[in-house]
Amino acid sequence: MNLADGVQIVSFGVLALMMLGAALGVVLLENIVYSAFLLGGVFISIAGLYILLNAGFVAAAQVLIYVGAVNVLILFGIMLVNKRQNFVPLRNAWVGKITTAAVCLGLFALLGTMVLATPWAISTAPVAGDTSTVVIGMHFFSDFLLPFELASVLLLMALIGAIVLARREFLPDALEREETQQPVLTLPERPRELASAAPGSPDRTLGTSPTQRNV
Amino acid sequence: MLKFLKQVTDYTKEAVQAARYIGQGLSVTFDHMQRRPITVQYPYEKLIPSERFRGRIHFEFDKCIACEVCVRVCPINLPVVDWEFNKETKKKKLNHYSIDFGVCIFCGNCVEYCPTNCLSMTEEYDLCTYDRHELNFDNVALGRLPYKVTQDPMVQPMRELAYLPKGVLYPHGLPAGSRRAGKLPEEILEEAEENGAK
Amino acid sequence: MNSGIDLQGSFIQLLVDLGLPVEVARVAWLPLPMLLVLVGATLGVLVTTWLERKISAAAQQRIGPEFAGPLGMLIPIADGLKLLVKEDIIPAKADSLLFTLGPAIVVIPVFLSFLIVPFGQNLLITDLGIGVFLWISLSSIAPIGLLMAGYASNNKYSLLGGLRAAAQSISYEIPLALSVVAIVMMSNSLSTIDIVQQQSGYGILGWNVWRQPIGFLIFWIAALAECERLPFDLPEAEEELVAGYQTEYAGIKFGLFYLGSYVNLVLSSLFVSVLYLGGWNFIIPIESLASWLSISESTPWLQVLTGSLGIIMTLLKAYLLVFLAILLRWTLPRVRIDQLLDLGWKFLLPVSLVNLLLTAALKLTFPFAFGG
Repeated sequence: MNLADGVQIVSFGVLALMMLGAALGVVLLENIVYSAFLLGGVFISIAGLYILLNAGFVAAAQVLIYVGAVNVLILFGIMLVNKRQNFVPLRNAWVGKITTAAVCLGLFALLGTMVLATPWAISTAPVAGDTSTVVIGMHFFSDFLLPFELASVLLLMALIGAIVLARREFLPDALEREETQQPVLTLPERPRELASAAPGSPDRTLGTSPTQRNV
Repeated sequence: MLKFLKQVTDYTKEAVQAARYIGQGLSVTFDHMQRRPITVQYPYEKLIPSERFRGRIHFEFDKCIACEVCVRVCPINLPVVDWEFNKETKKKKLNHYSIDFGVCIFCGNCVEYCPTNCLSMTEEYDLCTYDRHELNFDNVALGRLPYKVTQDPMVQPMRELAYLPKGVLYPHGLPAGSRRAGKLPEEILEEAEENGAK
Repeated sequence: MNSGIDLQGSFIQLLVDLGLPVEVARVAWLPLPMLLVLVGATLGVLVTTWLERKISAAAQQRIGPEFAGPLGMLIPIADGLKLLVKEDIIPAKADSLLFTLGPAIVVIPVFLSFLIVPFGQNLLITDLGIGVFLWISLSSIAPIGLLMAGYASNNKYSLLGGLRAAAQSISYEIPLALSVVAIVMMSNSLSTIDIVQQQSGYGILGWNVWRQPIGFLIFWIAALAECERLPFDLPEAEEELVAGYQTEYAGIKFGLFYLGSYVNLVLSSLFVSVLYLGGWNFIIPIESLASWLSISESTPWLQVLTGSLGIIMTLLKAYLLVFLAILLRWTLPRVRIDQLLDLGWKFLLPVSLVNLLLTAALKLTFPFAFGG
């Protein structure tokens, strides 16, 4: 075993451990901000694995899109939400937990059988390496054209949806009135009523100017 | 369609205009780079205050007649005049006099109105202390003569811009005895008197 | 095409000639570029902070640092030492882990991006196939660090500053990337070496700035916003946010933020010079000059001359842009957050898209001039 192979194996181990640990942290940690930051760690470890597979472009795209955009937006979402709600324990929480576990185990079993069932024919063709951008582009505009276009339509829909949500005037009035929430740290506003302007007080009539009153 | 095109052209025009303004601003900043630095390396160099500089007030105890005009003309009645009436001489006798320079605004009204000229402005301006109560000068402190910048061996005196010779902008290394641009006030006065005599 | 100076090859050859096995010689080579990047980037920052002080002083008719060394040149070292020996405070209610991690996450990607900055044909650490794309993707990590720092400080100004920094950074990344894409389209490669190669041959006339004037402007504006330089220094707008995400930081952690922002400025200037101003190319093409004087390209002294001229030219162009950034700092007032986002999304993004389409159309129409 020469030096390069050793480095590869060691870094694969480190990256895999990092990824698994971070992923478990995302799921198990109580603090949601920690989970979000650890998600970034998961994405970066995956990018590292891509680099080990000689797919530099995919790794950079992974970092740019998942770490730079998705994860930052998740963090934004967490940090900008200003809703304080008391934690109410659900009554039949165990049902949900068990269902989740069942679904996860099922998924794991499915993927496991898929991994075992697939005949992994490791191709001996030279790795694309630096020319991978060309190869990816070729695939996008030939045999993967339909998924590519569908993905772009999906993104367009998300874009339009975001604009519609951001432009409040398109929302119906009734919905807005329902969700009227008091801004934080202000008291609910009451109709203003001056004590002096109560009926019967002498100051109420507008006609009396100070000179008139002083007479 | 035409309206849209007009909108586009207007937008482009505005963008170009903004870019031009930024360019103008940049040229102003760039121009400033080759101007003379106005820095005075303060503790080592000091500007010579002008003749009408309004600095710390000097007070002459013996001249004061305790008339309290300074207190009356002061915008905040700052000077404290402590006197008692001497029945034998039938005159006011001044005991203490003090001005708090932490509060004084150096407007010079007291100096202007003092009937016996016992108050005068000095050119002392660096009144720095660690305790603001030390800025309350009593008659002894007020009677001290100011430190002259030109006589301090630690300090290199610098002339202000208006006192430099014609065409000179930098006060460093002026030859001794170089005259400032224009005539001195006393020369102008002399000339006026001569002209009046004619 | 001659490959110029190959430092790595000659270093390894030297060690092998001394009797070391090839593997060991390669391992011995490994730390050298890393060290070079760290030292080079830090030196660049030291020079930049000194320039910033001196140019700011000149723009305000002051003298600037004068007593620390000749012309005050030791002042950046004094700054750095001060930050190193200052007490490193972690606020009592802060999240100490994230608080410590934040500056590191901001700084590391910036330093990593220096791997692909070329100073000559072979004078760069790695000629990656993904080239500039690496820089774009690495610079998108920084907002995570800023958000981390802002959140962990447990201070509302810090949090607001971090959120602003992240918002600014992700919204200006898009025009930046789009203007880079236009360049890449012309050079048919993401590699920084190829991008500079494509500009060489015609001296100053071949530089991309003439073919991509709009892209150049967009790139420069977006790069300033990415570096959080004035007029886009909203995240640390001291009048509203004290110092933004840096508020609670002191000592060397603050120093890391400071270093990171200046390294980023130097890096952006270097990238502008590589992408738009012909990188290491001299104003007149050296190769044609040499052939005109009938000097062989492989003459050693010519190679050394070309190499050093390349480094000097790249640095000169970069520092010219740093100078422009400092001048802009004292010219333009800070924009408001809504103006900033308006400029990013409503002006730079459409204009850069139009620029991209225009480049594609020009490339199809004039394949000779726009890299067919």
